Amino acid sequence: MSRSLNDAADIQHAREAADRTALARMADGDASAFAELYDRYARAVYSLAYGILTDQTEAEDVSQEVFSQAWRQAGRYEPRRAQVGAWLLMITRARAIDRLRARRASPGAIPSVDDTRIAELPDLQPNQERVAISAQQAARLREALAALPEPQRAAIELAYYSGLTQAEIAEALHEPVGTVKTKIRTGLHRLRAALEGA
Amino acid sequence: MADTPTDHGELRELIGAYALGALSEREHAAIRAHLRECAECAREAQALQAVAEGLARAVPDRPPPPDLRARVLAAALESGRTRAATAEPAATEARPSAVRNWLLAAASVAAIAIGLYAAMLRQQVALLEVQLEQVSANASAAERQATEAREQARVAQQAMEIIAAPDMARVDLAGQPLVAGAATGRAFWSRSRGLVFTATNLPRLPAGRVYQVWVVPQGAPISMGLLMPDNSGNATNVTAGIDLPAAVAIAVTLEPAGGVPAPTGEKYLVGTL
Repeated sequence: MSRSLNDAADIQHAREAADRTALARMADGDASAFAELYDRYARAVYSLAYGILTDQTEAEDVSQEVFSQAWRQAGRYEPRRAQVGAWLLMITRARAIDRLRARRASPGAIPSVDDTRIAELPDLQPNQERVAISAQQAARLREALAALPEPQRAAIELAYYSGLTQAEIAEALHEPVGTVKTKIRTGLHRLRAALEGA
Repeated sequence: MADTPTDHGELRELIGAYALGALSEREHAAIRAHLRECAECAREAQALQAVAEGLARAVPDRPPPPDLRARVLAAALESGRTRAATAEPAATEARPSAVRNWLLAAASVAAIAIGLYAAMLRQQVALLEVQLEQVSANASAAERQATEAREQARVAQQAMEIIAAPDMARVDLAGQPLVAGAATGRAFWSRSRGLVFTATNLPRLPAGRVYQVWVVPQGAPISMGLLMPDNSGNATNVTAGIDLPAAVAIAVTLEPAGGVPAPTGEKYLVGTL
């Protein structure tokens, strides 16, 4: 994806620099930086948590856990691995899926808080240029997701928002695992094209 | 369960599910290992991970409940480290306020940039505002707690306004050799807004005595409040005042308990503008 210098990109870079500064200040114990981070990302974090859990109380609990973790781990954040927003949302998804899976296992069970647990999403490839998703891109993606052929959309949503493994998806949809793999991969490539504005 | 795939073609099929975190642990480990060796698959994985990041933002927008903010800030701040030092309750006096302790910590640092000082105060105000919100939200909190928090926030806010004043001058005070050699004082003085004063290593007060802070203009010294040091000899005072005369010096004297209209006792700390 080409990186032409324009206002939108400059704004994006300024935002990311401000985020990294806020985290550095948080690592130093600066409470006002923490409030800034909350004001910037609470909506995105809460929306994702609610999107996965569809329960306000649980979404609030997860949001609180995410920001608490960000506060405690601000010193460990590595800028080159992910943008701050992407990092927060990765934690959000991981915690929300934890709750969802625990809910399924035994209704009413709350998983214990475990900071060292590896997020279910894979670590981002290091040393690659990462550019944060813009609001326009997110909107395009939302539309593209809705426009995907039903089977691909279902597979992707079950994997990402419901935290099912591909084996579990295959079982849920009564399909061979191979079919599920292909649907996910094909669907993601279509979404990628939409993201890049193709 | 299926065998762990090792064939490149098979592994490539997993990249999509990998990007969404939908693999079993064994498959996840296998593909991770593969991505370290295969640039082509690594590129595809990176592209699809970008899509996964997008999916995080593709959910319907939903504003969080307004009271979540206070809850989140209070919960995190309780659990972790902040610059505001936790207060050690003194043996004989009431638990010192967080503001005072924090201002004392600042005063004991030899050289401190004004900008940093103001920033620390801003942070303290933010912390106190959070505490205040938390207290207000909790219906069972004693009214006294709420009043205390409000008072602390007010003092911190006042201190910040004084330090931020355009006519603010910083004055370092030295302990006078015969009575208080090791003591030090720092004043942030604004004619238009008032005085923030901190002192360290003040000798223990004799019974019936108190330290008093004075701003000394060309004319008669003006009292800017009393100081009662804790067991470590540290004391703080924040006094608002407007339209004060130009000062040539700031001093601390030892006076009868309750203070006096004009200085009568020994000078313990003196600093000139």
